Amino acid sequence: MAGIKALISLSFGGAVGLMFLMLGCALPVYDEYWPLFVLFFYVLSPIPYCVSRRVTDDTDATSNACKELAVFLTTGIVVSAFGLPIIFARVHVIAWGACALVLTGNIVIFATILGFFLVFGSNDDFSWQQW
Amino acid sequence: MSGFLDSIRCGECDCSVDWAEKRNTVASIAAGILFFTGWWIIIDAAVMYPSNTLFNHTYHVCGVIATVAFLMINAVSNGQVRGDSYSEGCMGQTGARIWLFIGFMLAFGSLIASMWILFGVFVVHRKCDTVYPGIAIFFQNAFIFFG
Repeated sequence: MAGIKALISLSFGGAVGLMFLMLGCALPVYDEYWPLFVLFFYVLSPIPYCVSRRVTDDTDATSNACKELAVFLTTGIVVSAFGLPIIFARVHVIAWGACALVLTGNIVIFATILGFFLVFGSNDDFSWQQW
Repeated sequence: MSGFLDSIRCGECDCSVDWAEKRNTVASIAAGILFFTGWWIIIDAAVMYPSNTLFNHTYHVCGVIATVAFLMINAVSNGQVRGDSYSEGCMGQTGARIWLFIGFMLAFGSLIASMWILFGVFVVHRKCDTVYPGIAIFFQNAFIFFG
């Protein structure tokens, strides 16, 4: 089915993004493991949207408010995942090269998560599985 | 093959979402970006100047009050203020108006306080020029409620 190709390409994207993150930490030139804190933001980022999908199961105006709050929080988490490496680099905890690698990994990972929700999250089977 | 067609149909469904919903989503995204960028800039200023001499950390109160005002303003929907919503809430329409009034007052107050700090510190002392972007971003803390 068409889902398998998408799943494979999304998992490849996730692996590439994590590879950039690990390169930013583990290269002997850098050797600082502080950027691994962005993993926390990666894990948090789908949660507001998933919670809003589960909680609101009707289509009137009130459900839009919950979805907008979820979008707002998700955007905040994404911005935080970009801001944290920049602050680390400004205080010289990590090098700017490591920061650039982590930001590249950020972009790839968030594109992967977004792709996951676009491809797999928008059909009705998703909500039926909750019951 | 029918599964393949189903996924194409779902893609078209996303494009035909009406413009009002998309505008709300775009506004939420813009508001989120501005709000969290504001907070990260003040976190950056706090990290760069950990001592209290160059950047007095009590100035964080400004941003906290702006955040509280932002949450207060966004908690009240337009329908409750106009009086045409289903449930009255615990205070009714007048209560909603008072809540919104206090929220806007706090927001404008923190905006004015941030401008005061900016000019009072930057103009008088002139040694810590990171206060300028740090405090200027509180402008954005206040502007996001327009989103």
